[in-house]
Amino acid sequence: MPLKQRIYKGQQDPSSVQRGQKGEMSLYLKTPNKSMSARQKLETQLTENNIVKEELDLLESANIVYKLIGPVLVKQDLDEAKATVTKRLEYINGEIQRYETLLKEMEKKSDQHREVLSSLQQEFQKAQGMAVGKV
Amino acid sequence: MAEKGNMNVEHVDGVARLREEHEKVVKDCESRIQHWKKVSGDYEALNDRLETLPEQLSYDIMVPFGPLAFMPGKLVHTNEVTALLGDNWFAKCSAKQAQKLVSHRMKYVKKELDDLSKTMKNFEARVSLAKNLESMSASKGDYVDIREDAGNNEAALTKGKQRIAHKPNSKPKLDAVLDLKEEEEEENDEGSRKSVLTEEELWARLDELEKLEELQDEQDRLSDNAEMNGEDTSSSSSEEEEKEKDGQAETRVNGLSLKPSWSSAPHSKVPPSVDGKEDEDDDDEDEGDCLPTIFFSHTVEPKKVRINTGKNTMLKFSERKEQKEHSKRKKKNGHSHHELHKITTPADIYRLFVDVKNGEPIPRKSILKSRSRENSVCSDTSESSAADFDERRMIGRSFSHDEATHSDTSDGITEEDSPTAVPLHPSSKFEAFSGTVVEKDPMPLAVPHLTIAPPALPTILERKQEEVAPDPPPPQEPPKRVSKFKAARLQQK
Repeated sequence: MPLKQRIYKGQQDPSSVQRGQKGEMSLYLKTPNKSMSARQKLETQLTENNIVKEELDLLESANIVYKLIGPVLVKQDLDEAKATVTKRLEYINGEIQRYETLLKEMEKKSDQHREVLSSLQQEFQKAQGMAVGKV
Repeated sequence: MAEKGNMNVEHVDGVARLREEHEKVVKDCESRIQHWKKVSGDYEALNDRLETLPEQLSYDIMVPFGPLAFMPGKLVHTNEVTALLGDNWFAKCSAKQAQKLVSHRMKYVKKELDDLSKTMKNFEARVSLAKNLESMSASKGDYVDIREDAGNNEAALTKGKQRIAHKPNSKPKLDAVLDLKEEEEEENDEGSRKSVLTEEELWARLDELEKLEELQDEQDRLSDNAEMNGEDTSSSSSEEEEKEKDGQAETRVNGLSLKPSWSSAPHSKVPPSVDGKEDEDDDDEDEGDCLPTIFFSHTVEPKKVRINTGKNTMLKFSERKEQKEHSKRKKKNGHSHHELHKITTPADIYRLFVDVKNGEPIPRKSILKSRSRENSVCSDTSESSAADFDERRMIGRSFSHDEATHSDTSDGITEEDSPTAVPLHPSSKFEAFSGTVVEKDPMPLAVPHLTIAPPALPTILERKQEEVAPDPPPPQEPPKRVSKFKAARLQQK
């Protein structure tokens, strides 16, 4: 194959691979953002539920507790409410941890891909340089 | 310097950005604090309402009917409050209980407020720090001349080791003192204007120093012989230091790049010791020049001949050039390079122009040293046997001729060189001193370091052949050099 063609091909290959990598990279960039926003939401819910729990503790049994489900205020038992809130709290904590691990993984993967991308870019540039030089 | 400058520039940018980021955080904190303050106000109002609500069983109020109408109505069950606990949880409670809830929430809000205010204070402090840093880095724009930042520290350091003109004939210490003071002042001031001043001062100083050097050279020459004899080469290093100090104070201009040397001078004081060394080296060169004996400023003279014509042997040549180059490079390259070919102190001469080395790296000794005297062709060192002396004289004369052709500077250098060359050949009088060794000796040794050396070699070789050849003993020396002298020696032998 003539030199030019070979060079061109070589150039193309890295670039195509690069594109693929870049696509992945964008994926790796977006996912962490999503995870981050979700995690922040969870954080707010966590604080809120903590307050609810504390306030429920402040209440006495005489107080009637309602839960808003859609447009309806449903009567709840104080103890039940407390239990529900506690469970919700645990659930939220678990979700947060899950998102944390997910974020870390995403970060690692993105780093790896970044390295691959950079190496590909280098090859690409080299190929370009060679082509230029040879030409 | 350039590196440092670059670093400074980067620092300035980085610091500016850092400051901006800090300020952003501070603003964010402020907004949040505002929000929480509002919430706190609301809760307080709520608290008051809950306080007063149960006072009456019912209240007559105007009830809002839609967005535009009101209806008279009554507010009943004033003690029953359905409170939102958060996360779609409601609780029916009395007003008092509601108050408890409210106070509980208030606690939380207060906590948040406190945290935010702490953070804000923290970042405000950082912002101020960044601002200061920025101003500092901006001020030291041209740290090339004088590093004000470093200067302060260095000033402290240099103060301790401020060099004093130790050389007997060294330039008046006033210069050094003045320079030091100036430098200190410069260092102390961190204004950008300082750099400007320093440059001007530098130029003025250079001029002054040049004049001083000329005067001193004359004086030194006269007294050099006496001094050289008296001084010990062993203390050359100390002398060098002194010289360096002097040199720093003085303009080192002997043909050496004024600017670089000058700039180095202030730097020497200001910059870290490493730089100081470089400066010192520069100074040494200059000082060497200052010293009556060595003028490193001479143009590339084909050979460095030690001429003993009543003066110390001369080291001609391109040493000066080399030195100049070195001094210039020194600024860039740093100390090591400098050391190699730079003759900042008399000791350097010995080191560099080891033409006298006889196969061994025998450091030259100044002619002042007894050994050198024997070997040196200097009239001062006429301790050597008469024969040797005559021989040397012969050699010296030939060199002197060359010297005469050269400027004074060369004489100065040669003078020093001769002493250095002489010491190399301590024991064997004749051979040790065939000493004109100086000529090329430095070249071979200097070759690796000095770029000039190679070119000089050929010329020097030529000259050497004309003049007395250097001692054969030093195998390192190019054989050509010793042609004449060798012949003479052989004859004598």
